[in-house]
Amino acid sequence: MKNRLTILYDTQSFLQRDLIKLARNPTLFGTLLVEPLVLFLVFSQVFQKLSLFLPGSSGGYLGFLTPGIVLISALVCSPQSGISLANDLNSGLLSKMLLTPADRPAILLGRLLTDVLVVTAQSTLTIVVAIALGVRIATGMPGVLLILFTVAYFELALSGIFLAVGMKTRKTETLNALSGFLFLPVIFFSSAMFPVSFLPSWAQAISNYNPVSYASAVIRELVQGGLSVGTLTTAYVAIGIISIATFAATLYQFRKVIS
Amino acid sequence: MQNIIVVKDLVVVYPDGTRAVDDITFSVEEGEFFGFLGPNGAGKSTTIKALTTLLHKASGRISVAGYDLDQSPREIRRSIGVLSQDTAVDGDLTGKENLRFQGRLEQMGGNALTKRVEELLKLVQLDNVAEKQAGRYSGGMKKRLDLASALIHKPRLLFLDEPTAGLDPQSRTAIWDYLQKLNKEEGVTIFLTTQNMEEADRLCRRISIIDGGKIIAEGSPLELKEALGGETITLSFKGDTDFLLRNKTKAILGTVQAVTNIIDSDESVIVYTKNATQVVVDVVVALGRDNVRPSFLSISSPTLDDVFLQKTGRRIRSEELSRKKIEPSILSVS
Repeated sequence: MKNRLTILYDTQSFLQRDLIKLARNPTLFGTLLVEPLVLFLVFSQVFQKLSLFLPGSSGGYLGFLTPGIVLISALVCSPQSGISLANDLNSGLLSKMLLTPADRPAILLGRLLTDVLVVTAQSTLTIVVAIALGVRIATGMPGVLLILFTVAYFELALSGIFLAVGMKTRKTETLNALSGFLFLPVIFFSSAMFPVSFLPSWAQAISNYNPVSYASAVIRELVQGGLSVGTLTTAYVAIGIISIATFAATLYQFRKVIS
Repeated sequence: MQNIIVVKDLVVVYPDGTRAVDDITFSVEEGEFFGFLGPNGAGKSTTIKALTTLLHKASGRISVAGYDLDQSPREIRRSIGVLSQDTAVDGDLTGKENLRFQGRLEQMGGNALTKRVEELLKLVQLDNVAEKQAGRYSGGMKKRLDLASALIHKPRLLFLDEPTAGLDPQSRTAIWDYLQKLNKEEGVTIFLTTQNMEEADRLCRRISIIDGGKIIAEGSPLELKEALGGETITLSFKGDTDFLLRNKTKAILGTVQAVTNIIDSDESVIVYTKNATQVVVDVVVALGRDNVRPSFLSISSPTLDDVFLQKTGRRIRSEELSRKKIEPSILSVS
Protein backbone atom coordinates (compact mmCIF):
# COMPACT_ATOMS: atom_id res chain seq x y z
CA MET A 1 0.00 0.00 0.00
CA LYS A 2 1.31 3.43 -0.92
CA ASN A 3 2.39 5.61 2.01
CA ARG A 4 -0.07 8.41 1.32
CA LEU A 5 -2.92 5.91 1.50
CA THR A 6 -1.59 4.10 4.53
CA ILE A 7 -2.37 6.99 6.87
CA LEU A 8 -5.98 7.10 5.64
CA TYR A 9 -6.37 3.33 5.98
CA ASP A 10 -4.81 3.33 9.45
CA THR A 11 -6.85 6.33 10.62
CA GLN A 12 -9.97 4.48 9.49
CA SER A 13 -8.83 1.38 11.45
CA PHE A 14 -8.36 3.38 14.66
CA LEU A 15 -11.64 5.25 14.11
CA GLN A 16 -13.52 1.96 13.60
CA ARG A 17 -12.04 0.52 16.76
CA ASP A 18 -12.91 3.59 18.83
CA LEU A 19 -16.47 3.67 17.52
CA ILE A 20 -16.95 -0.03 18.36
CA LYS A 21 -15.59 0.65 21.85
CA LEU A 22 -17.98 3.56 22.24
CA ALA A 23 -20.92 1.42 21.11
CA ARG A 24 -19.88 -1.25 23.66
CA ASN A 25 -19.98 1.37 26.43
CA PRO A 26 -23.55 2.69 26.18
CA THR A 27 -23.33 4.29 29.63
CA LEU A 28 -20.38 6.44 28.56
CA PHE A 29 -21.88 7.27 25.18
CA GLY A 30 -25.29 8.01 26.71
CA THR A 31 -23.76 10.23 29.39
CA LEU A 32 -21.72 12.16 26.84
CA LEU A 33 -24.81 12.65 24.70
CA VAL A 34 -27.26 13.54 27.45
CA GLU A 35 -25.08 15.68 29.75
CA PRO A 36 -25.33 18.88 27.64
CA LEU A 37 -29.10 18.37 27.34
CA VAL A 38 -29.48 18.01 31.10
CA LEU A 39 -27.48 21.21 31.61
CA PHE A 40 -29.65 22.86 28.95
CA LEU A 41 -32.74 21.88 30.94
CA VAL A 42 -31.27 22.96 34.30
CA PHE A 43 -29.99 26.36 33.16
CA SER A 44 -32.98 27.20 30.99
CA GLN A 45 -35.36 26.51 33.91
CA VAL A 46 -33.35 27.97 36.79
CA PHE A 47 -32.47 31.17 34.93
CA GLN A 48 -35.56 31.51 32.71
CA LYS A 49 -36.30 34.96 34.14
CA LEU A 50 -33.08 36.22 32.55
CA SER A 51 -35.15 36.49 29.35
CA LEU A 52 -36.48 39.75 30.81
CA PHE A 53 -32.97 41.20 30.60
CA LEU A 54 -32.33 39.93 27.05
CA PRO A 55 -34.95 41.68 24.95
CA GLY A 56 -33.04 41.35 21.68
CA SER A 57 -32.35 37.62 21.96
CA SER A 58 -34.27 35.26 19.67
CA GLY A 59 -35.87 32.62 21.88
CA GLY A 60 -35.12 34.67 25.02
CA TYR A 61 -32.63 33.12 27.44
CA LEU A 62 -32.96 29.76 25.62
CA GLY A 63 -31.60 31.37 22.47
CA PHE A 64 -28.81 33.01 24.44
CA LEU A 65 -28.00 29.75 26.24
CA THR A 66 -27.86 27.52 23.14
CA PRO A 67 -24.28 28.52 22.12
CA GLY A 68 -23.09 27.99 25.70
CA ILE A 69 -24.58 24.49 25.84
CA VAL A 70 -23.11 23.60 22.44
CA LEU A 71 -19.69 24.63 23.76
CA ILE A 72 -20.26 22.58 26.91
CA SER A 73 -20.43 19.56 24.55
CA ALA A 74 -16.86 20.33 23.51
CA LEU A 75 -15.75 20.62 27.13
CA VAL A 76 -17.47 17.37 28.12
CA CYS A 77 -15.97 15.48 25.20
CA SER A 78 -12.43 16.90 25.24
CA PRO A 79 -10.89 14.59 27.92
CA GLN A 80 -11.97 11.43 26.06
CA SER A 81 -8.97 11.20 23.71
CA GLY A 82 -6.53 11.64 26.59
CA ILE A 83 -8.35 9.04 28.70
CA SER A 84 -8.41 6.58 25.81
CA LEU A 85 -4.71 7.02 25.08
CA ALA A 86 -3.76 6.71 28.78
CA ASN A 87 -5.76 3.46 28.91
CA ASP A 88 -3.98 2.13 25.81
CA LEU A 89 -0.62 3.06 27.30
CA ASN A 90 -1.37 1.30 30.56
CA SER A 91 -2.87 -1.83 28.99
CA GLY A 92 0.07 -2.38 26.65
CA LEU A 93 -2.18 -1.92 23.60
CA LEU A 94 -0.28 1.18 22.49
CA SER A 95 3.01 -0.76 22.47
CA LYS A 96 1.28 -3.43 20.41
CA MET A 97 0.12 -0.79 17.91
CA LEU A 98 3.61 0.69 17.74
CA LEU A 99 4.98 -2.74 16.84
CA THR A 100 2.98 -2.76 13.61
CA PRO A 101 3.87 -0.88 10.42
CA ALA A 102 0.77 1.33 10.93
CA ASP A 103 1.29 5.07 10.58
CA ARG A 104 1.86 6.39 14.07
CA PRO A 105 0.10 9.77 13.69
CA ALA A 106 -3.01 7.75 12.68
CA ILE A 107 -3.27 6.62 16.32
CA LEU A 108 -3.97 10.26 17.31
CA LEU A 109 -5.98 11.11 14.21
CA GLY A 110 -8.35 8.15 14.58
CA ARG A 111 -9.02 9.00 18.19
CA LEU A 112 -9.55 12.72 17.51
CA LEU A 113 -11.95 11.94 14.66
CA THR A 114 -14.00 9.85 17.09
CA ASP A 115 -14.28 12.88 19.37
CA VAL A 116 -15.29 15.08 16.45
CA LEU A 117 -18.10 12.65 15.61
CA VAL A 118 -19.27 12.52 19.23
CA VAL A 119 -19.17 16.29 19.71
CA THR A 120 -21.03 16.75 16.42
CA ALA A 121 -23.72 14.31 17.58
CA GLN A 122 -23.98 16.11 20.93
CA SER A 123 -24.20 19.56 19.33
CA THR A 124 -26.71 18.43 16.71
CA LEU A 125 -28.91 17.03 19.46
CA THR A 126 -28.68 20.29 21.44
CA ILE A 127 -29.55 22.35 18.37
CA VAL A 128 -32.49 20.07 17.50
CA VAL A 129 -33.82 20.37 21.07
CA ALA A 130 -33.31 24.16 21.01
CA ILE A 131 -35.22 24.46 17.74
CA ALA A 132 -38.00 22.24 19.15
CA LEU A 133 -38.22 24.62 22.13
CA GLY A 134 -38.66 27.63 19.87
CA VAL A 135 -35.14 28.90 19.20
CA ARG A 136 -34.69 30.01 15.60
CA ILE A 137 -31.26 29.65 14.00
CA ALA A 138 -31.21 32.89 12.04
CA THR A 139 -28.47 31.78 9.62
CA GLY A 140 -30.30 28.57 8.66
CA MET A 141 -28.61 25.32 7.64
CA PRO A 142 -25.29 26.93 6.58
CA GLY A 143 -25.20 28.54 10.03
CA VAL A 144 -25.87 25.19 11.72
CA LEU A 145 -23.01 23.61 9.75
CA LEU A 146 -20.67 26.45 10.73
CA ILE A 147 -21.73 26.04 14.38
CA LEU A 148 -20.89 22.34 14.20
CA PHE A 149 -17.54 23.09 12.56
CA THR A 150 -16.70 25.74 15.17
CA VAL A 151 -17.51 23.50 18.11
CA ALA A 152 -15.51 20.60 16.60
CA TYR A 153 -12.55 22.93 16.02
CA PHE A 154 -12.80 24.15 19.62
CA GLU A 155 -13.08 20.59 20.93
CA LEU A 156 -9.91 19.57 19.07
CA ALA A 157 -8.00 22.49 20.59
CA LEU A 158 -9.07 21.41 24.08
CA SER A 159 -8.36 17.70 23.40
CA GLY A 160 -4.68 18.55 23.01
CA ILE A 161 -4.46 19.54 26.69
CA PHE A 162 -5.84 16.20 27.84
CA LEU A 163 -3.82 14.18 25.33
CA ALA A 164 -0.59 15.77 26.53
CA VAL A 165 -1.46 15.36 30.23
CA GLY A 166 -2.77 11.81 29.62
CA MET A 167 0.48 10.71 28.01
CA LYS A 168 2.55 12.47 30.66
CA THR A 169 0.71 11.15 33.74
CA ARG A 170 -0.87 7.97 32.29
CA LYS A 171 -3.62 8.40 34.89
CA THR A 172 -7.26 8.72 33.87
CA GLU A 173 -8.12 9.96 37.38
CA THR A 174 -5.89 12.98 36.82
CA LEU A 175 -7.65 13.74 33.56
CA ASN A 176 -11.09 13.51 35.16
CA ALA A 177 -9.95 15.78 38.00
CA LEU A 178 -8.43 18.26 35.54
CA SER A 179 -11.62 18.28 33.50
CA GLY A 180 -13.72 18.96 36.60
CA PHE A 181 -11.28 21.65 37.74
CA LEU A 182 -11.39 23.51 34.41
CA PHE A 183 -15.09 23.09 33.62
CA LEU A 184 -16.84 25.62 35.89
CA PRO A 185 -14.34 28.53 35.77
CA VAL A 186 -13.93 28.20 32.00
CA ILE A 187 -17.70 28.23 31.44
CA PHE A 188 -18.75 30.82 34.00
CA PHE A 189 -15.90 33.29 33.45
CA SER A 190 -17.02 33.68 29.85
CA SER A 191 -19.98 34.90 27.85
CA ALA A 192 -21.25 31.33 27.31
CA MET A 193 -24.05 31.24 29.89
CA PHE A 194 -24.72 34.87 30.81
CA PRO A 195 -24.06 38.25 29.24
CA VAL A 196 -20.60 39.46 30.27
CA SER A 197 -22.18 42.59 31.76
CA PHE A 198 -23.67 40.35 34.49
CA LEU A 199 -20.18 39.48 35.73
CA PRO A 200 -18.14 41.58 38.21
CA SER A 201 -15.47 43.66 36.52
CA TRP A 202 -12.56 41.38 37.51
CA ALA A 203 -14.42 38.36 36.03
CA GLN A 204 -15.21 40.40 32.92
CA ALA A 205 -11.47 40.89 32.49
CA ILE A 206 -10.93 37.12 32.59
CA SER A 207 -13.83 36.59 30.23
CA ASN A 208 -12.22 38.91 27.68
CA TYR A 209 -9.26 36.53 27.44
CA ASN A 210 -11.29 33.32 27.71
CA PRO A 211 -11.42 31.44 24.38
CA VAL A 212 -14.90 30.16 25.31
CA SER A 213 -16.10 33.78 25.03
CA TYR A 214 -14.67 34.05 21.50
CA ALA A 215 -16.20 30.74 20.41
CA SER A 216 -19.58 31.55 21.96
CA ALA A 217 -19.58 34.98 20.26
CA VAL A 218 -19.30 33.26 16.87
CA ILE A 219 -22.01 30.70 17.65
CA ARG A 220 -24.29 33.33 19.19
CA GLU A 221 -24.00 35.49 16.09
CA LEU A 222 -24.82 32.44 13.97
CA VAL A 223 -27.90 31.73 16.13
CA GLN A 224 -29.08 35.34 16.41
CA GLY A 225 -27.95 36.44 12.94
CA GLY A 226 -25.38 38.94 11.76
CA LEU A 227 -22.06 37.08 11.96
CA SER A 228 -19.21 39.50 11.39
CA VAL A 229 -15.94 38.52 9.75
CA GLY A 230 -14.12 40.16 12.65
CA THR A 231 -15.80 37.96 15.28
CA LEU A 232 -15.13 34.83 13.21
CA THR A 233 -11.49 35.70 12.51
CA THR A 234 -10.74 36.64 16.12
CA ALA A 235 -12.31 33.43 17.43
CA TYR A 236 -10.62 31.15 14.89
CA VAL A 237 -7.22 32.76 15.47
CA ALA A 238 -7.66 32.44 19.26
CA ILE A 239 -8.67 28.77 18.97
CA GLY A 240 -5.82 28.26 16.47
CA ILE A 241 -3.28 29.62 18.97
CA ILE A 242 -4.61 27.24 21.65
CA SER A 243 -4.49 24.36 19.17
CA ILE A 244 -0.87 25.09 18.29
CA ALA A 245 0.09 25.23 21.97
CA THR A 246 -1.82 22.10 23.03
CA PHE A 247 -0.79 20.03 20.00
CA ALA A 248 2.83 21.05 20.35
CA ALA A 249 2.62 19.62 23.89
CA THR A 250 0.77 16.55 22.58
CA LEU A 251 3.30 15.85 19.84
CA TYR A 252 6.18 16.37 22.27
CA GLN A 253 4.68 13.80 24.65
CA PHE A 254 3.77 11.45 21.78
CA ARG A 255 7.33 11.50 20.45
CA LYS A 256 8.56 10.66 23.94
CA VAL A 257 6.08 7.78 24.19
CA ILE A 258 6.87 6.26 20.81
CA SER A 259 10.61 6.54 21.26
CA MET B 1 21.29 -21.54 7.11
CA GLN B 2 21.02 -17.75 6.95
CA ASN B 3 20.96 -15.64 10.12
CA ILE B 4 17.64 -13.88 10.66
CA ILE B 5 18.85 -11.99 13.73
CA VAL B 6 22.37 -10.62 14.09
CA VAL B 7 23.24 -8.64 17.21
CA LYS B 8 26.72 -7.22 17.68
CA ASP B 9 28.02 -5.45 20.79
CA LEU B 10 24.53 -4.33 21.81
CA VAL B 11 24.32 -1.94 24.76
CA VAL B 12 21.04 -0.53 26.11
CA VAL B 13 21.25 2.06 28.88
CA TYR B 14 18.22 3.21 30.87
CA PRO B 15 17.74 6.92 31.63
CA ASP B 16 18.97 6.32 35.21
CA GLY B 17 22.28 5.05 33.80
CA THR B 18 21.66 1.32 34.33
CA ARG B 19 23.26 -0.81 31.59
CA ALA B 20 20.27 -3.13 31.16
CA VAL B 21 21.95 -4.87 28.22
CA ASP B 22 25.71 -4.81 28.49
CA ASP B 23 27.60 -5.54 25.31
CA ILE B 24 25.95 -8.71 24.01
CA THR B 25 26.62 -10.43 20.69
CA PHE B 26 24.60 -13.31 19.30
CA SER B 27 22.83 -14.49 16.18
CA VAL B 28 19.76 -16.60 15.40
CA GLU B 29 19.42 -18.76 12.29
CA GLU B 30 16.31 -18.74 10.11
CA GLY B 31 13.92 -21.47 11.27
CA GLU B 32 15.55 -21.79 14.68
CA PHE B 33 13.74 -21.93 18.04
CA PHE B 34 16.05 -19.76 20.11
CA GLY B 35 15.71 -18.90 23.78
CA PHE B 36 16.95 -16.24 26.16
CA LEU B 37 16.91 -17.72 29.64
CA GLY B 38 17.49 -15.65 32.75
CA PRO B 39 16.00 -14.35 35.98
CA ASN B 40 13.90 -11.21 36.40
CA GLY B 41 15.85 -8.09 35.52
CA ALA B 42 18.47 -10.00 33.53
CA GLY B 43 17.87 -7.92 30.40
CA LYS B 44 15.66 -10.32 28.42
CA SER B 45 12.69 -8.03 27.82
CA THR B 46 14.99 -5.07 27.19
CA THR B 47 16.75 -7.06 24.48
CA ILE B 48 13.41 -7.94 22.86
CA LYS B 49 12.29 -4.30 23.01
CA ALA B 50 15.54 -3.18 21.37
CA LEU B 51 15.27 -5.86 18.65
CA THR B 52 11.62 -5.01 17.92
CA THR B 53 12.28 -1.24 17.55
CA LEU B 54 10.52 -0.26 20.79
CA LEU B 55 13.67 0.84 22.66
CA HIS B 56 16.65 2.87 21.54
CA LYS B 57 20.03 1.21 21.87
CA ALA B 58 23.02 3.10 23.23
CA SER B 59 25.42 1.35 20.86
CA GLY B 60 25.94 -1.79 18.82
CA ARG B 61 24.41 -3.14 15.64
CA ILE B 62 21.15 -4.98 15.14
CA SER B 63 19.94 -6.66 11.98
CA VAL B 64 16.53 -8.33 11.95
CA ALA B 65 15.02 -10.21 9.00
CA GLY B 66 17.79 -8.83 6.80
CA TYR B 67 17.10 -5.18 7.69
CA ASP B 68 19.36 -2.86 9.64
CA LEU B 69 17.44 -1.54 12.64
CA ASP B 70 18.78 2.00 12.32
CA GLN B 71 17.89 2.29 8.65
CA SER B 72 14.71 0.24 8.22
CA PRO B 73 12.71 -0.03 11.46
CA ARG B 74 9.41 -0.06 9.58
CA GLU B 75 10.48 -3.00 7.38
CA ILE B 76 11.50 -4.85 10.54
CA ARG B 77 8.09 -4.22 12.11
CA ARG B 78 6.48 -5.54 8.93
CA SER B 79 8.47 -8.81 9.15
CA ILE B 80 8.01 -9.66 12.81
CA GLY B 81 5.30 -10.72 15.22
CA VAL B 82 5.62 -9.87 18.89
CA LEU B 83 3.92 -11.35 21.92
CA SER B 84 4.65 -9.13 24.90
CA GLN B 85 5.01 -10.33 28.45
CA ASP B 86 1.81 -8.54 29.54
CA THR B 87 -1.19 -9.76 27.58
CA ALA B 88 -2.58 -6.90 25.51
CA VAL B 89 -6.04 -7.51 24.08
CA ASP B 90 -8.86 -4.99 23.83
CA GLY B 91 -11.51 -6.18 26.26
CA ASP B 92 -14.27 -4.13 24.60
CA LEU B 93 -13.71 -5.82 21.23
CA THR B 94 -14.66 -9.41 20.48
CA GLY B 95 -11.95 -11.96 19.75
CA LYS B 96 -12.67 -11.65 16.05
CA GLU B 97 -12.64 -7.83 16.14
CA ASN B 98 -9.32 -7.84 17.99
CA LEU B 99 -7.77 -9.93 15.22
CA ARG B 100 -9.36 -7.87 12.43
CA PHE B 101 -8.06 -4.66 14.00
CA GLN B 102 -4.56 -6.10 14.34
CA GLY B 103 -4.70 -7.36 10.75
CA ARG B 104 -5.66 -3.90 9.47
CA LEU B 105 -2.71 -2.37 11.33
CA GLU B 106 -0.55 -4.92 9.51
CA GLN B 107 -2.00 -3.44 6.30
CA MET B 108 -4.19 -6.47 5.57
CA GLY B 109 -7.79 -6.30 4.42
CA GLY B 110 -10.58 -7.88 2.39
CA ASN B 111 -11.04 -11.62 2.04
CA ALA B 112 -7.43 -12.41 2.89
CA LEU B 113 -7.90 -10.89 6.34
CA THR B 114 -11.29 -12.55 6.91
CA LYS B 115 -9.81 -15.94 5.97
CA ARG B 116 -6.73 -15.47 8.14
CA VAL B 117 -8.84 -14.43 11.15
CA GLU B 118 -10.99 -17.58 10.84
CA GLU B 119 -7.87 -19.73 10.42
CA LEU B 120 -6.19 -18.30 13.53
CA LEU B 121 -9.30 -18.49 15.70
CA LYS B 122 -9.41 -22.21 14.90
CA LEU B 123 -5.68 -22.64 15.52
CA VAL B 124 -5.89 -21.15 19.02
CA GLN B 125 -9.25 -22.83 19.64
CA LEU B 126 -11.20 -19.63 20.16
CA ASP B 127 -13.53 -20.03 17.17
CA ASN B 128 -16.45 -20.93 19.45
CA VAL B 129 -16.07 -17.70 21.48
CA ALA B 130 -14.99 -15.47 18.58
CA GLU B 131 -18.05 -13.21 18.90
CA LYS B 132 -17.66 -12.72 22.66
CA GLN B 133 -15.91 -9.62 24.05
CA ALA B 134 -12.32 -10.47 24.94
CA GLY B 135 -12.76 -8.87 28.37
CA ARG B 136 -14.79 -11.93 29.31
CA TYR B 137 -12.06 -14.40 28.32
CA SER B 138 -9.94 -16.23 30.89
CA GLY B 139 -6.23 -15.38 31.22
CA GLY B 140 -5.24 -18.36 29.07
CA MET B 141 -7.76 -17.46 26.36
CA LYS B 142 -6.54 -13.86 26.29
CA LYS B 143 -2.96 -15.07 25.90
CA ARG B 144 -4.00 -17.32 23.02
CA LEU B 145 -5.82 -14.42 21.36
CA ASP B 146 -2.74 -12.25 21.84
CA LEU B 147 -0.61 -14.96 20.24
CA ALA B 148 -3.02 -15.16 17.31
CA SER B 149 -2.71 -11.34 16.92
CA ALA B 150 1.05 -11.67 16.69
CA LEU B 151 0.62 -14.23 13.90
CA ILE B 152 -2.03 -12.41 11.86
CA HIS B 153 0.34 -11.31 9.07
CA LYS B 154 2.23 -14.63 8.92
CA PRO B 155 5.51 -13.19 10.23
CA ARG B 156 8.77 -14.97 9.41
CA LEU B 157 10.04 -14.21 12.87
CA LEU B 158 8.15 -14.31 16.15
CA PHE B 159 9.35 -12.66 19.37
CA LEU B 160 7.81 -14.07 22.54
CA ASP B 161 8.50 -12.36 25.85
CA GLU B 162 7.78 -14.88 28.62
CA PRO B 163 4.76 -16.21 26.75
CA THR B 164 3.49 -18.51 29.48
CA ALA B 165 4.25 -16.44 32.60
CA GLY B 166 1.32 -16.60 35.00
CA LEU B 167 -0.61 -19.22 33.03
CA ASP B 168 -2.05 -22.41 34.46
CA PRO B 169 -0.29 -25.67 33.41
CA GLN B 170 -3.01 -26.57 30.90
CA SER B 171 -2.86 -23.21 29.09
CA ARG B 172 0.95 -23.34 29.20
CA THR B 173 1.02 -26.74 27.52
CA ALA B 174 -1.46 -25.54 24.88
CA ILE B 175 0.75 -22.53 24.08
CA TRP B 176 3.84 -24.76 23.91
CA ASP B 177 2.07 -27.05 21.45
CA TYR B 178 1.11 -24.12 19.17
CA LEU B 179 4.64 -22.78 19.25
CA GLN B 180 6.21 -26.13 18.38
CA LYS B 181 3.73 -26.55 15.55
CA LEU B 182 4.49 -23.07 14.21
CA ASN B 183 8.21 -23.67 14.30
CA LYS B 184 8.20 -27.19 12.88
CA GLU B 185 5.35 -27.07 10.40
CA GLU B 186 5.42 -23.46 9.23
CA GLY B 187 9.12 -22.77 9.65
CA VAL B 188 8.57 -19.63 11.75
CA THR B 189 11.74 -18.57 13.54
CA ILE B 190 11.02 -18.09 17.23
CA PHE B 191 12.95 -15.93 19.68
CA LEU B 192 11.66 -16.63 23.15
CA THR B 193 12.58 -15.23 26.55
CA THR B 194 11.77 -17.14 29.68
CA GLN B 195 12.76 -17.75 33.25
CA ASN B 196 11.12 -21.16 33.11
CA MET B 197 13.81 -23.81 32.69
CA GLU B 198 11.34 -26.45 31.58
CA GLU B 199 10.07 -24.14 28.86
CA ALA B 200 13.56 -23.39 27.56
CA ASP B 201 14.57 -27.05 27.78
CA ARG B 202 11.47 -28.35 26.05
CA LEU B 203 11.12 -25.81 23.26
CA CYS B 204 14.47 -24.27 22.38
CA ARG B 205 17.04 -25.81 20.08
CA ARG B 206 19.62 -23.31 21.28
CA ILE B 207 19.67 -20.93 24.22
CA SER B 208 21.66 -18.06 25.64
CA ILE B 209 21.65 -17.67 29.38
CA ILE B 210 21.62 -14.00 30.36
CA ASP B 211 22.29 -12.40 33.72
CA GLY B 212 22.99 -8.79 34.64
CA GLY B 213 22.69 -7.76 31.00
CA LYS B 214 25.44 -10.16 29.88
CA ILE B 215 25.31 -13.50 28.11
CA ILE B 216 26.97 -16.00 30.43
CA ALA B 217 26.44 -19.26 28.51
CA GLU B 218 25.31 -20.31 25.07
CA GLY B 219 24.55 -23.64 23.39
CA SER B 220 21.88 -26.29 23.06
CA PRO B 221 20.18 -27.21 26.36
CA LEU B 222 21.78 -30.67 26.14
CA GLU B 223 25.30 -29.33 25.53
CA LEU B 224 25.01 -26.91 28.43
CA LYS B 225 23.79 -29.59 30.83
CA GLU B 226 26.36 -32.15 29.70
CA ALA B 227 29.13 -29.63 30.27
CA LEU B 228 28.29 -29.76 33.98
CA GLY B 229 29.69 -33.27 34.18
CA GLY B 230 26.84 -35.72 34.64
CA GLU B 231 24.17 -35.93 37.32
CA THR B 232 23.59 -34.08 40.56
CA ILE B 233 23.07 -35.08 44.19
CA THR B 234 21.44 -32.28 46.19
CA LEU B 235 21.74 -32.21 49.98
CA SER B 236 19.64 -29.92 52.16
CA PHE B 237 19.91 -29.36 55.90
CA LYS B 238 16.96 -28.47 58.11
CA GLY B 239 17.78 -25.91 60.77
CA ASP B 240 21.57 -26.44 60.96
CA THR B 241 22.58 -24.54 57.89
CA ASP B 242 25.45 -22.72 59.52
CA PHE B 243 28.67 -22.01 57.77
CA LEU B 244 30.73 -24.62 59.70
CA LEU B 245 28.36 -27.50 58.96
CA ARG B 246 28.27 -26.66 55.30
CA ASN B 247 32.04 -26.35 55.13
CA LYS B 248 32.40 -29.66 56.95
CA THR B 249 29.96 -31.26 54.50
CA LYS B 250 31.88 -29.91 51.54
CA ALA B 251 35.16 -31.14 53.01
CA ILE B 252 33.73 -34.65 53.46
CA LEU B 253 32.22 -34.65 49.97
CA GLY B 254 35.60 -33.63 48.58
CA THR B 255 37.02 -36.93 49.76
CA VAL B 256 34.40 -39.00 47.92
CA GLN B 257 35.76 -40.45 44.70
CA ALA B 258 34.02 -39.69 41.39
CA VAL B 259 32.67 -36.33 42.62
CA THR B 260 33.49 -33.86 39.85
CA ASN B 261 32.23 -30.62 41.37
CA ILE B 262 30.57 -29.27 44.52
CA ILE B 263 28.47 -26.10 44.62
CA ASP B 264 27.19 -24.50 47.79
CA SER B 265 23.99 -22.66 46.86
CA ASP B 266 21.74 -20.70 49.18
CA GLU B 267 19.45 -23.62 49.88
CA SER B 268 21.59 -26.71 49.44
CA VAL B 269 24.92 -28.32 48.67
CA ILE B 270 25.03 -29.78 45.17
CA VAL B 271 27.38 -32.58 44.15
CA TYR B 272 28.12 -33.24 40.48
CA THR B 273 29.13 -36.73 39.44
CA LYS B 274 29.03 -39.06 36.43
CA ASN B 275 26.89 -41.71 38.10
CA ALA B 276 24.84 -40.33 40.93
CA THR B 277 22.89 -43.51 41.80
CA GLN B 278 26.14 -45.32 42.67
CA VAL B 279 28.01 -42.39 44.20
CA VAL B 280 25.07 -41.46 46.47
CA VAL B 281 25.85 -44.50 48.67
CA ASP B 282 29.47 -43.34 49.13
CA VAL B 283 28.25 -39.82 49.89
CA VAL B 284 25.78 -40.97 52.55
CA VAL B 285 28.31 -43.34 54.13
CA ALA B 286 31.01 -40.63 54.22
CA LEU B 287 28.64 -38.09 55.77
CA GLY B 288 27.23 -40.63 58.25
CA ARG B 289 30.73 -41.48 59.41
CA ASP B 290 31.10 -37.90 60.64
CA ASN B 291 27.51 -37.79 61.86
CA VAL B 292 26.44 -35.30 59.19
CA ARG B 293 22.83 -36.08 58.41
CA PRO B 294 21.11 -34.19 55.62
CA SER B 295 17.40 -33.64 56.09
CA PHE B 296 16.74 -33.94 52.41
CA LEU B 297 18.54 -35.66 49.57
CA SER B 298 17.69 -35.86 45.90
CA ILE B 299 19.23 -37.17 42.72
CA SER B 300 18.55 -35.63 39.37
CA SER B 301 19.83 -35.05 35.92
CA PRO B 302 21.17 -31.50 35.71
CA THR B 303 18.73 -28.81 34.67
CA LEU B 304 19.36 -25.49 33.00
CA ASP B 305 19.00 -24.02 36.47
CA ASP B 306 22.12 -25.98 37.45
CA VAL B 307 23.89 -24.41 34.49
CA PHE B 308 22.81 -20.98 35.75
CA LEU B 309 23.83 -21.91 39.29
CA GLN B 310 27.28 -23.00 38.19
CA LYS B 311 27.82 -19.78 36.25
CA THR B 312 26.43 -17.34 38.82
CA GLY B 313 26.23 -19.13 42.19
CA ARG B 314 22.48 -18.36 42.24
CA ARG B 315 19.37 -20.16 41.11
CA ILE B 316 16.91 -18.65 38.63
CA ARG B 317 13.87 -19.81 40.58
CA SER B 318 14.29 -22.43 43.22
CA GLU B 319 10.58 -23.30 43.23
CA GLU B 320 10.85 -24.53 39.68
CA LEU B 321 13.21 -27.32 40.48
CA SER B 322 11.65 -30.59 39.56
CA ARG B 323 13.69 -33.29 41.09
CA LYS B 324 13.32 -36.88 42.06
CA LYS B 325 13.14 -36.67 45.85
CA ILE B 326 14.58 -39.40 48.02
CA GLU B 327 13.71 -39.29 51.70
CA PRO B 328 16.85 -39.55 53.87
CA SER B 329 15.27 -42.17 56.12
CA ILE B 330 15.39 -44.65 53.24
CA LEU B 331 19.10 -44.08 52.76
CA SER B 332 20.15 -43.34 56.31
CA VAL B 333 23.31 -45.10 57.40
CA SER B 334 23.49 -46.26 60.97
